[in-house]
Amino acid sequence: MQALALAILLFPAAGGIFLGVFNWRGSRLLTAMVGPGVIWAAFVCVLILLGNNVDQDFTYWTWIRAGSFEVPFDILIDHLSLFMCLVITGVGGLIVTYAVGYMEHETDGSYARFFCYMDVFVLAMLILVLAGNTVFLIVGWAGVGLSSYLLIGFYYWRRSAVIAARKAFVMNVIGDIGMILGAFVLFVSYHQVVYLKLFPALPHTPDATTELAAFLLLVGGIAKSAQLPLHTWLPDAMEGPTPVSALIHAATMVTAGVYLVARFHPLYDATIYAHAAVAIIGAVTALFAASIALVQTDIKRVLAYSTMSQIGYMFLAVGIGAYSAGLFHLLSHAFFKALLFMAAGNVIHALHDDQDMRHYGGLWHDMRRSSVTFLAGSLSLAGIIPFVGFFSKENVLGEAFSRGDGLGYAVWFIGFVTAVLTGFYTGRMWWFAFWRPASEERPVAGHLHEAPLVMLVPVAVLAVLTTVGGFLQIKAIGGWALVDDFLKPVLGEERIRTNGLEYLATVLTLVLAALAFAAAYNFWIRGTWSPAGWRARYGWGARVLERKYYFDELYDWAFVRPLDRLAGFTDREDRSLIDTGAVDVGAYTERGAGALSLTQTGFLRSYVLVFVAGVVIAAVLVLWRASS
Amino acid sequence: MGPATIVFWLASAVALAGGLGVVLFKEPIRNVLSLVLVMLSLAVLFLLLSAQFVFAVQVIVYAGAVMVLFLFVITLLGPVREQGTVRLPWQIFISAVVIAAFAGFLVAMLRGVSYRTPDAADPIFGSVQSIGVGLFTDYLFPFELTSILLLVAAVGC
Amino acid sequence: MLIRRNPLVMLICIELMLNAVNLTLVAFSRQLNNREGQLFALMTMTVAAAEAVVGLAILVDIFRVRDLEDVDDLSELKG
Repeated sequence: MQALALAILLFPAAGGIFLGVFNWRGSRLLTAMVGPGVIWAAFVCVLILLGNNVDQDFTYWTWIRAGSFEVPFDILIDHLSLFMCLVITGVGGLIVTYAVGYMEHETDGSYARFFCYMDVFVLAMLILVLAGNTVFLIVGWAGVGLSSYLLIGFYYWRRSAVIAARKAFVMNVIGDIGMILGAFVLFVSYHQVVYLKLFPALPHTPDATTELAAFLLLVGGIAKSAQLPLHTWLPDAMEGPTPVSALIHAATMVTAGVYLVARFHPLYDATIYAHAAVAIIGAVTALFAASIALVQTDIKRVLAYSTMSQIGYMFLAVGIGAYSAGLFHLLSHAFFKALLFMAAGNVIHALHDDQDMRHYGGLWHDMRRSSVTFLAGSLSLAGIIPFVGFFSKENVLGEAFSRGDGLGYAVWFIGFVTAVLTGFYTGRMWWFAFWRPASEERPVAGHLHEAPLVMLVPVAVLAVLTTVGGFLQIKAIGGWALVDDFLKPVLGEERIRTNGLEYLATVLTLVLAALAFAAAYNFWIRGTWSPAGWRARYGWGARVLERKYYFDELYDWAFVRPLDRLAGFTDREDRSLIDTGAVDVGAYTERGAGALSLTQTGFLRSYVLVFVAGVVIAAVLVLWRASS
Repeated sequence: MGPATIVFWLASAVALAGGLGVVLFKEPIRNVLSLVLVMLSLAVLFLLLSAQFVFAVQVIVYAGAVMVLFLFVITLLGPVREQGTVRLPWQIFISAVVIAAFAGFLVAMLRGVSYRTPDAADPIFGSVQSIGVGLFTDYLFPFELTSILLLVAAVGC
Repeated sequence: MLIRRNPLVMLICIELMLNAVNLTLVAFSRQLNNREGQLFALMTMTVAAAEAVVGLAILVDIFRVRDLEDVDDLSELKG
């Protein structure tokens, strides 16, 4: 079992090394086999570990030892990490398989490079969730940021892609710093890095140290999960290839913050403010992102904002202590958001990389299979019964509602409004892009080529999972809770007692979300209500939403411009003080050398004269000293 | 005034005249011949100073060999006269100042020196024997060095 | 030597100065009854001979290669 646990990491590592080092000019077929193959191999390892019900902290060797500071290389296999590994390798395997078809137009080198990055990403993500100590966690955390940077900037010849990659990296590094500081605070206070020794050492009553550590870790979490206010990188990250958006920016990496809070739940349980901050940030982000998604026209950006919004739900859940509800939503979101991205990817692929929904339409007729799967994902996102999104979202909202205090009701209300908005923008996306007649601006006018089988099968698998996956945990309508039970050994007993009232709220949410989804039909198909008229009436609102609440402008004004000015100032001073000084020293040296070179007349006689004069002076000096 | 004194004054006068000739003549051949004159008179002075070996070397090597070399070069190159523009206008003036300073220095140094007649010389002082013993015992190393120097000069030319 | 511009004459002047030094050496040697003065004069002669040989050889070479009026023409090495 010990070797098997390590093998989960070794498979993607070997794949990445092979593709990066040996096969970047090699066979395309081999690349297509190895890239997804190693992830499926890791998936099998996870399944075997799961089948044997392993729950253990495997220590392989001592990694760092400096005095009393000792970091082991250990892999923590418990139900939480296995749950995450299942999502990463399972959904990840499907997405990487899908990429075999999606990336087919790349050159051989880029093809291998893509799968190399994907394998490295999966490796980093697995390190993140399997790490048994905070130092190893940071390694995975930073590795995920790095591979995200590489994949967003995959089309490195596109300027916007490179800028987006840099933006993502900078934002992530801000989070990494918070993360590292948090781990440092924990180490300084409790002298432990290994989770299983650290958590028992934590106090059970709130104090300043735990609050500080929890807040710092939260900074890392919100940067990685694109929550307010470190969210601006995620929409830009859609510059990456669509499988990347599906894998990293929907299914796995951005959920790392949720995993982090769940993993450190003993810490967050011991705090008040940091824990509440998680819920508040999550709820506000959910509403905030959903409102922006209402007006976006780029289909991938709509999906990106909906991702932010859904992760907001997860933060909300873990913030109120409903950890397993948050993780169930994580699982369900991985299913339907990966599905949405990949179905959208089929469309984008067929329409020659056009992502503007205004150029779409008529897809229901031309791409029936992709459209059906997209519809399944949309209904799930909107929270329509019986799709998985309904069960997981209502689970979260139900937990919030039945918490029974001010925070619980507040976040429930925000989540409820968000659910209605989600129904509306999902409906808009569906009716506007897929259902309505083909737009005249569509880049491919005639018949569209449906995606190849290698792209359709993963999408279909996810569509099935999206449709039936909800029945893992039908707690929202009062039933079994398999996810809760599975995670109970790690996350502990259910803390929130339900009281029955939340079923009313659930029905209300479902009905309103469904109505909002349907209302979108009136807007964009029947034209009963005209979007243009609403826009004319509430133009300022639309502008604010389209400019994404001016966050980019705010950051530009608050950080970029002052730094720019500072840089300009130091640049000027550098020129006038330091450069001029250096140049002057050079100039004076040169001039002095020029003056001295006058003595090198080249005339033998003057040399002799100087020589004789020197002799006279020396003789006079000697005589004078001898006489005195 | 014994005959030695007369010879000394004569030789000194000839040497001074020759020196002036070396400096003042314009024709190189006259400069060289003046130098030969200086050397010969110096040779006489060496003899008066009971330095027989140095006298012999001065006559044979210097006045004989080296000056013949100069004469050869002059005949080889033909008459080279100084003409053309003077390119260092301050040279003469500064030289005069420096020379005056040097002369003043010499005068200042020689003032107050009491002259005395040297002791009677050893019979062997300055003889070939004395010089030879010196060269091959105490000063063997400098001697060998000068021989190497000569060798280098000979080979290098 | 400070004034003259004929390279040959400058060499001759050097010889003259060396001879003056020789005279001083020998005179002090006699005055102090000291053998080393004469020995040193001999060394000086050797060096003077070597210097004259090398100097004249350079001179002949230069005159063979270039048409010179005086040493001031050899002032290419100025800074």
